[in-house]
Amino acid sequence: MFDFLIHGFDVALSPLNLGLALLGALLGTLFGALPGIGPINGIAILMPLAYTLGLPAESALILLAAIYTGAEYGGRMSSILLNVPGDAGAVMTTLDGHPLAKKGLAGPALGLSAVSSFVGATIAIIGLTLFAPLLAEVAVMFGPAEFFALMVFAFASMAVMMGKDPIKTAIGAVLGILIGTVGVDSSTGVLRYTFDLPELYDGIDFVVMIIGLFAISEILLMLENANRKDGNDGLPPLGRVFVSLKEVMACKWTMGRSGLIGFIIGILPGTGASVAGAVAYTTEKRLSDKDNSFGTGNMRGLAAPEAANNASAAGSFVPMLTLGIPGSGTTAVLLGALMLYNITPGPMMFSERPEVAGGLIASLYIGNIVLLALNLPLAGVFARVLTIPRWVLVPGIAILAFVGVFQLHSNLAAIYLMLIIGVFGYLLRKLGFSLAPVILGYVLGGLMEQNLRRALSISGGDLGILWQSGISLGLWIAALALLLLPWLLPKLWQAKTSKA
Amino acid sequence: MKLAADRLLGIVLIGLAAFVAVQAINLEVPFSYDPVGPKAFPLGLAILLAALASVLVVKPGTNEAWPGRQLGMKLLLVLATLLVYALLFTKLGFIITSLLAVTSLARIFGTSWGKALLTGVLMAVVSYFLFAHALGISLPSGYWLEPLL
Repeated sequence: MFDFLIHGFDVALSPLNLGLALLGALLGTLFGALPGIGPINGIAILMPLAYTLGLPAESALILLAAIYTGAEYGGRMSSILLNVPGDAGAVMTTLDGHPLAKKGLAGPALGLSAVSSFVGATIAIIGLTLFAPLLAEVAVMFGPAEFFALMVFAFASMAVMMGKDPIKTAIGAVLGILIGTVGVDSSTGVLRYTFDLPELYDGIDFVVMIIGLFAISEILLMLENANRKDGNDGLPPLGRVFVSLKEVMACKWTMGRSGLIGFIIGILPGTGASVAGAVAYTTEKRLSDKDNSFGTGNMRGLAAPEAANNASAAGSFVPMLTLGIPGSGTTAVLLGALMLYNITPGPMMFSERPEVAGGLIASLYIGNIVLLALNLPLAGVFARVLTIPRWVLVPGIAILAFVGVFQLHSNLAAIYLMLIIGVFGYLLRKLGFSLAPVILGYVLGGLMEQNLRRALSISGGDLGILWQSGISLGLWIAALALLLLPWLLPKLWQAKTSKA
Repeated sequence: MKLAADRLLGIVLIGLAAFVAVQAINLEVPFSYDPVGPKAFPLGLAILLAALASVLVVKPGTNEAWPGRQLGMKLLLVLATLLVYALLFTKLGFIITSLLAVTSLARIFGTSWGKALLTGVLMAVVSYFLFAHALGISLPSGYWLEPLL
């Protein structure tokens, strides 16, 4: 059953793909370390590169996955050194990471977080190797009705788990799905929401959407903190550069537990690194904070979220590769990238395109080792990235965005659309929306409609088919339970305590 | 009572939902093999959106601070720069427009004219050679350059 992995290592160890994994790891770490740019922005900005190079699907995916995991490594830099999390997933890292840096232990803190990231990611990649083929075998039995129910479940899980405001998460997802309906309807040829603009007939292009939503809105958002000096005045000395073996060994169980937690949370669709980091941190605090030193620079408090972050990144590949449902905003972007190659990830991918599924998993093993090797000795170099001022960073992003969109379409309409989407993304972020649901909706919406219509064609329009099978009924019940739980639990809890 | 941004957003979204629904209903479908057709899905989404938006109107959340006057001006400047960049991109060519856009952005983001101009020149030239020669992307060279080449 591990044929796909052996085949995958063949693919991943080819000189081209090995080079791409290295390049991606390096670029990802650099972009992740850039102030204010998290993994998803990093991928959005660098994605056109993969197309420019004219890479085959598996190589493009290897490059993008390496950027993703690299950015998860890089994101810890600003959390630890500046107390500024690069994205939501790195918030927990600041809690003990920054106090450690203030104590003059920035070097060991960076080293420990690299080791924790490595351990967490390794646990999750092994989990992915074991679990994904099994899940794929179950998923082969999924028909359109089951897939539709699964997507409803994914959106429900996202609404509950992601962001502070479930209503806004849901609205974001609906808006994303609506954006996805623009263009010609594939089964009837009817034009929807194109307003007689020929540029919109093919729908809103994925790259234009991603770059507008993330890169352009980021530029606008950065303006608000333009006057904040990024690290120039506050970069603490690194101290000794290496973390000692003793310090690492003291955290070994923490890393193991947190890695496992991160993996499991990563699998759940819609829940990303932020939830994983928070759950791992609070669990570890409960289990091993004997002297109440969490939050004041405890090594374990740093190791827990870091291991969980990276584990959830790898875990989110499980639903993406086996079910075609991304586990996080970033994997949604990767999923969209795959669809540009006319590959729809799903249960058949392990049998039909083993070079893609296996190559990706094998490259995750390799990339992870590369990242550890890069990050331990080069922490000081990467930390310098934090001192890049915004007036250099922003024009650079602008050029990358313009070139990225222009080289794919060679027309200005795409660039105008990118700018419009950028303003839209900026407004959403200012209004307290997170962009991950929007992108998840945009990527999944088309599939959701296709599956719904296919299911109803089979049944001749009878809605009952949507919950006829055991699997789909189970998914509907799970989705309903997820939506009701946050509202029901406190009431049950109250009823219980008032009785006692 | 001050109109909360979320309330306004909710009302705008309800309007959007109505628009989406009307557009969907007015679609002319010549012939459809499947019983659902292209109308139902957007219609369902519009209903869902309207329902969610009404919750927002009734129970608005908290919002971040909106940019003040000064920041708003800068925001418009950045957008204007990007728009002009796009307008002139193919006409004047990559190097010239990038030089202008980078200089303008660097200036808006708070550096001196000298440094901004230097960044503009360096970034435009270096990225042109990186993209056009190393990566082989075809970038517009601009009408003014073509007779010279």
